[in-house]
Amino acid sequence: MSQIMIKDALQQRELMTSGHLACPGCGGALAMRMVLKELGERTIVTMPACCWSVIAGPYPTASVQVPVYHTAFETGAAVASGIRAALDMRGDTDTTVMVWAGDGGTFDIGLQALSGAAERNENILYVCYDNEAYMNTGIQRSSATPWGAWTTTTPVAQPQANPKKDIMAIMAAHRIPYAATATPAYPTDLVAKVRRAKSVRGTRFLHILAPCPPGWKYADERSMELARLAVRARIFPMLEVEDGQHWRFTMDHPGDPVEPYVRAQGRFRHLDDAQIALVQERVDARWTELLGRVMN
Amino acid sequence: MSELRLEGKDLPVSRTTTLGNRTGSWKYIRPVYHDRVAPCNQKCPVGIDIEAYLNLLREDRLEEAVDLLLRENPIPAITGRVCDHPCETACNRRELDGAVAIHAVERMLGDQALTRRVAASPVTQREQIGVVGSGPAGLACAYHRNRLGYAVTVFEAADEPGGMLRLGIPEFRLPRAVLDRQLEQLRELGIKFVCGTRIGKDLDWSLLASFDVVFIGTGAHLARPLGLAGEDHPAVRQGLEFLQEVNAGGRPDVGRKVIVIGGGNTAMDCARTARRLGAEVTVAYRRTREEMPAIREEIADAEREGITLEFLVAPVGFGDDSEGVVDIVFERMVLGEPDASGRRAPVPTGARFEHAVDLVLLATGESASLEALPPSVQVYRGSIAADRLGATAEGRYFSGGDVAGHDRTGAHALGAGKRAAIGIDRPLRAQRASAASPEAVPAELAALSLGPQGNLSMTRWRHDDPVRRVAPVDEVVSPELLNLTHFEPAERHADHKPNGAAATTFAEVNLGLTRNEALAEAKRCFNCGVCNGCELCLIYCADVAIRRATGAYRFEIDLEYCKGCGVCAEECPRGAISMTREGL
Ligand SMILES: Cc1cc2nc3c(=O)[nH]c(=O)nc-3n(C[C@H](O)[C@H](O)[C@H](O)COP(=O)(O)OP(=O)(O)OC[C@H]3O[C@@H](n4cnc5c(N)ncnc54)[C@H](O)[C@@H]3O)c2cc1C
Ligand code: SF4
Ligand code: SF4
Ligand code: SF4
Repeated sequence: MSQIMIKDALQQRELMTSGHLACPGCGGALAMRMVLKELGERTIVTMPACCWSVIAGPYPTASVQVPVYHTAFETGAAVASGIRAALDMRGDTDTTVMVWAGDGGTFDIGLQALSGAAERNENILYVCYDNEAYMNTGIQRSSATPWGAWTTTTPVAQPQANPKKDIMAIMAAHRIPYAATATPAYPTDLVAKVRRAKSVRGTRFLHILAPCPPGWKYADERSMELARLAVRARIFPMLEVEDGQHWRFTMDHPGDPVEPYVRAQGRFRHLDDAQIALVQERVDARWTELLGRVMN
Repeated sequence: MSELRLEGKDLPVSRTTTLGNRTGSWKYIRPVYHDRVAPCNQKCPVGIDIEAYLNLLREDRLEEAVDLLLRENPIPAITGRVCDHPCETACNRRELDGAVAIHAVERMLGDQALTRRVAASPVTQREQIGVVGSGPAGLACAYHRNRLGYAVTVFEAADEPGGMLRLGIPEFRLPRAVLDRQLEQLRELGIKFVCGTRIGKDLDWSLLASFDVVFIGTGAHLARPLGLAGEDHPAVRQGLEFLQEVNAGGRPDVGRKVIVIGGGNTAMDCARTARRLGAEVTVAYRRTREEMPAIREEIADAEREGITLEFLVAPVGFGDDSEGVVDIVFERMVLGEPDASGRRAPVPTGARFEHAVDLVLLATGESASLEALPPSVQVYRGSIAADRLGATAEGRYFSGGDVAGHDRTGAHALGAGKRAAIGIDRPLRAQRASAASPEAVPAELAALSLGPQGNLSMTRWRHDDPVRRVAPVDEVVSPELLNLTHFEPAERHADHKPNGAAATTFAEVNLGLTRNEALAEAKRCFNCGVCNGCELCLIYCADVAIRRATGAYRFEIDLEYCKGCGVCAEECPRGAISMTREGL
């Protein structure tokens, strides 16, 4: 069959409702919708401060139909560990406990709790939907913001000067049983990874690229296209890592030039050709490094 | 669920959904579903809803696909063999990995249709329809009139019906069994054939007075002499006449060396037929390969069969040689400026040379068969003057096909016959409508055509499309409207598969695709412009605003919540969603 028939690959159930407060074209909202489709009703979510704290709906409303605990910024993984322990005490081993955190709550503020949970190999699923900055507070840079990007705290005069933190390598270093990258632009790949993650015990980590129209500054309808460009250009490779040691790609990465991806976004508008060439160099270097891991 | 309490205090728990929050008010632009026109549909001269039958095949609904095809094309087993498939030239899949082999799929469906038993169409109308000429134009007109409930009689000068399909096209391209079965089915439908009757000669036009309407589809059969010295040499023959002789079972002696003059299908057929009769054959054409009007596969087959093509040569005279051998004098040409046909014209160089051959076959085109027309029918520039719906100045007479100056292919003739069937129906339907039965008469032909330049759809004329249509717009799907990301490469099945045998028999050369190959090929179709229920829009909606529906359409967009991001329209693989400001 030459066309991907998505309707046969995804669950029909819907655990997210309309009326949520995500911006039009939000990659993070779509990611939640797809992940919940696969996880099903027996899921409990902990949610440190992030865009989703807003998307989930103001009190007394909720846009997801599973229990969600809003937690302090740094405690997503810690609260999840506690809920897991409570469920285990009650003999409930079926329910998935999922942390749903942004890049700020994962790469920066929540990293110690995440590291602790991973080191203890807590039986939780940690999902970081990564929109590459603190978006709901007004686009401040995080350690997930890519090199060269504009944010309100890295203005055009001094754009982001550090490379994006390699969170997958950090998680792999914890030797957790399963870690993967994904994006809602590839729904079948994403739900397959959620399914895998759900079936594994111990700490599981999903790193989902979640394009953000207002934060990255592109036309709303291009969200999925941008995610695909990032994957095809090897900026955000699609990976699975087992036991922190076995790295593999889940699709082909043709290595398209980074330029169309960069040029499509207002947050990179100030970059000149030489700087874009630098982005390409950095992406190429990371790719080479990654190939070394994937071969091992 | 009980309230959550901590240290004597209620914990705040959200228990209602966010559905009270009508985020639809955020948008300034909204998505709409609508069908566009697939480019293949617009380019098929017959006017077949190709996209729709390919979609039925994708859903494994073979018999319905055959039905849909038969709505527009009376003889798919034949077009599936001899059409030059402009549909494929227009196919959007070219942008990815090669056009869908539509032609081969059509052949498989056509062969499937041949196995059917056909019931006679009920005659529900009193008007009598006469058709003169049983080529594709006449057959299409007769077929569609018959299916609209009219009694139809076809008059044919030759002993058997089929027109050029029988007289011109050789058996190795169109087996007689296929042609005969196809015609037998038309008889089974109730169409009456009166053969061996040349109207205007054997039977006077005035004797057709009992017919309310007469369609003239007499084709183009008149030899056009080159006007060169020595052309009356007995070894210089008209190619079409030669083909007719062989197609009727004759096996004339062609000698050892044959030259065919021309570059069209007739030239290729002459050459390949002469080859089968044992000759060494050269085709001499005055332009180059690019300008050859013959179907590409036929040129390739001719070369494979050992026929030599010689370009940029034109005959200037014939000399008598000994023992029936003819000396043909050629002049070398070069290509000059484009002529009226848009092709670069051959310009003589003055350089001449000679060939001595046993037979020369002239295949440089025929003129319309205008020799015996009813006096009231007007001729304009060598063809019957008829409008788009086939109407001539004299209301009773309609015309189409080669004789009416349409492009000289079977598909164009079929398309013209169908248009005439609609043209004949229009005033009749209007009459009936005024007689108190509220039958709609679509006034606008544009509403019937498959795209701005497409042929008319009989299905639309009849208002009984079995395919669900959503707010159709008369816009052809350009590749830019597609999202090719969602298609995986799938190699095209080569639809032309020569049997590999030496050119000694008249057995069919092209084996076509097996049924399974054809079904797999059908699944390569993008279904340009028409929703096929892939559900990508539904799954990509971050606002859960697209839902399955059971009404007129598969999906509905909940505008109360849709924020107008446009991701659905962007991601739809086939351009079946657009964004609009209308209605906001
Ligand atoms: C050798 C050859 C190969 C071809 N190959 C192809 C091909 O591969 N693909 C393709 O698409 N097209 C091909 N064509 C062109 C195609 O056959 C014609 O364009 C098509 O048949 C025209 O259809 P028609 O109905 O207008 O006329 P015709 O098919 O010519 O039919 C006209 C019929 O009217 C009859 N007739 C004429 N005058 C009278 C009268 N006064 N009374 C009663 N009957 C009469 C004739 O005997 C004839 O049967 C080929 C043509 C030739 C000559
Ligand atoms: S009749 Fe010709 S143009 Fe029409 S669909 Fe068939 S092959 Fe294509
Ligand atoms: S992909 Fe299908 S619908 Fe589109 S032009 Fe080709 S055959 Fe027609
Ligand atoms: S994305 Fe698929 S389901 Fe949605 S309109 Fe397009 S074809 Fe139909």
